[in-house]
Amino acid sequence: MRVILVCSGGMSSAIAAKSLKEAAQADGIDMEVHESSSVKFQEMVKEDYALALVAPQIRHHFDRLKKDADSAGVPILQIKPRGYSPIGGKFLLAQIKKEAGQVLK
Amino acid sequence: MFDKFTVFLDEKLSTPMAKLSEQKHLRAVRDGIVATLPIIIVASMFLVIAFLPNSLPESWGFTQFLADNQFKILLPYRMSMYIMTLYAVFGIGYSLAKSYELDGLSGGILAELAYLLTIIPAIIPGASEGVMELATGNAELTTFIEAVPTGFVIPMANLGSGGMFIGILSAFIAVEIYRFTERSGFKISMPEQVPASIARSFEAMTPTAIVILLFATVTMWLEVDVHSIINSIVAPLVSASDTLPSILLITFLNSFFWFFGIHGASIVGSIARPLWLVLLEQNSSAYAIGEAIPNMAPEPFYQWYMYIGGSGATIGLALALFFAKSQYAKTLGKTAFVPALFNINEPLIFGTPIVLNPTLLIPFLLAPMINAVVAWFATSLGLVNRMVALAPWTLPGPIGAFLATGNDWRGALLNIFLIILATLIYYPFVMMYDRQLLAEEHEELHEN
Repeated sequence: MRVILVCSGGMSSAIAAKSLKEAAQADGIDMEVHESSSVKFQEMVKEDYALALVAPQIRHHFDRLKKDADSAGVPILQIKPRGYSPIGGKFLLAQIKKEAGQVLK
Repeated sequence: MFDKFTVFLDEKLSTPMAKLSEQKHLRAVRDGIVATLPIIIVASMFLVIAFLPNSLPESWGFTQFLADNQFKILLPYRMSMYIMTLYAVFGIGYSLAKSYELDGLSGGILAELAYLLTIIPAIIPGASEGVMELATGNAELTTFIEAVPTGFVIPMANLGSGGMFIGILSAFIAVEIYRFTERSGFKISMPEQVPASIARSFEAMTPTAIVILLFATVTMWLEVDVHSIINSIVAPLVSASDTLPSILLITFLNSFFWFFGIHGASIVGSIARPLWLVLLEQNSSAYAIGEAIPNMAPEPFYQWYMYIGGSGATIGLALALFFAKSQYAKTLGKTAFVPALFNINEPLIFGTPIVLNPTLLIPFLLAPMINAVVAWFATSLGLVNRMVALAPWTLPGPIGAFLATGNDWRGALLNIFLIILATLIYYPFVMMYDRQLLAEEHEELHEN
């Protein structure tokens, strides 16, 4: 499955993305995580993703990003702060399972 | 008690304020200006290279080469950073049009058109026979006449930071006119069979005509010099942003937002970045002609003295974590140190976490603010050069500070001093937090 992770500049999301990928792998889930900046999101989200994740520090953009995701038909989640760190991957994966479990199947 | 207070602050203050920065015009300015940053960063490096001779041994052939070709080396700077508003306006018009779900390209072009119509090109005639006659035999005058361009000439300063605010305003007005014509249907519509790109160019004709008539009337027929009017209004704001209280306020707000886990730098930057760019460009153009640098605190001042390792001078936190004993803090410190070296601190902010953590709030506010005071005095006493260039923000602190101050090794030294200072400020609080973590880890161990 392909997941898109959006943060402000697309820099810090790489770190969280790596941690999420590792957690998914450990769980036997084949996951591809792409990073995006909030500016590029509108275009990128159209590229066939199963799930969009929003970094906690840009939660004030959530409504706008959700509109873009909705029109692309991609479910979108706001990452909880604890899941957004180099060692937060397993928390993030747990959050995805809880709030958007259907996309993992 | 603390929890209730922070929830109150977040719901009533920080989140609404952050939402404010989502306002369409503010966002357009932010995105439009951010799009010009690559130009400004690369152009800054040309500025830095052109003035390397100041810090290299004079006897080197390389030094001599640079000094002889300074004008040529500075050309990219003149055609990019020096006239940055020309670029920013297009981006602002594009972003604003996009946010109204209009055609971005048309919005950018209309904005550029409106902006350029605020500038009156000078018409410089060729030297008349009489003048040429006077010049014969006078070598100095002949060279001068030959150097003067003829024809239409645009004053370049109006395309640079001096025109920033008029540029922003022009872009707003042009795109609002575009939006009005689209909404009211006051436009030339094509039958459906016409290809979309052609239809769009016809649709843009009405707003183009309105923009031209409006701006040309104001500039040429009413002869209103909007540039000097707007500049006299904005000048006090620009100089106010360059004072210590403003710097402390901006630094405080930046940490304040991040404490709630909101991207402080992007929120504060929405408002401050146009001002910072004006301050920076004034500095760099003074530097390029060898004059005294006028301003203290354009954006690089924050980046290389306050936000070392990221907002909140968290390089200090990353270093202090090396002394931690709890498993969690140790692991986090190891993984978060390298990103922190390159000023990426989300791992620390959300990992430690700093977000809603009362123990770490104090150094997260204090470290950058104390750094600000130290850097302010060091700079105003002339112990380090002032900021003249925008170095990429992901460079390690000392290198960034060296480049941004125009190759001043003392800038790098100040940066290192401030890293040590920040570490000392974080240290006691990190130890306190580490003890909490350690106690939790013990409990978990016993529970299992």
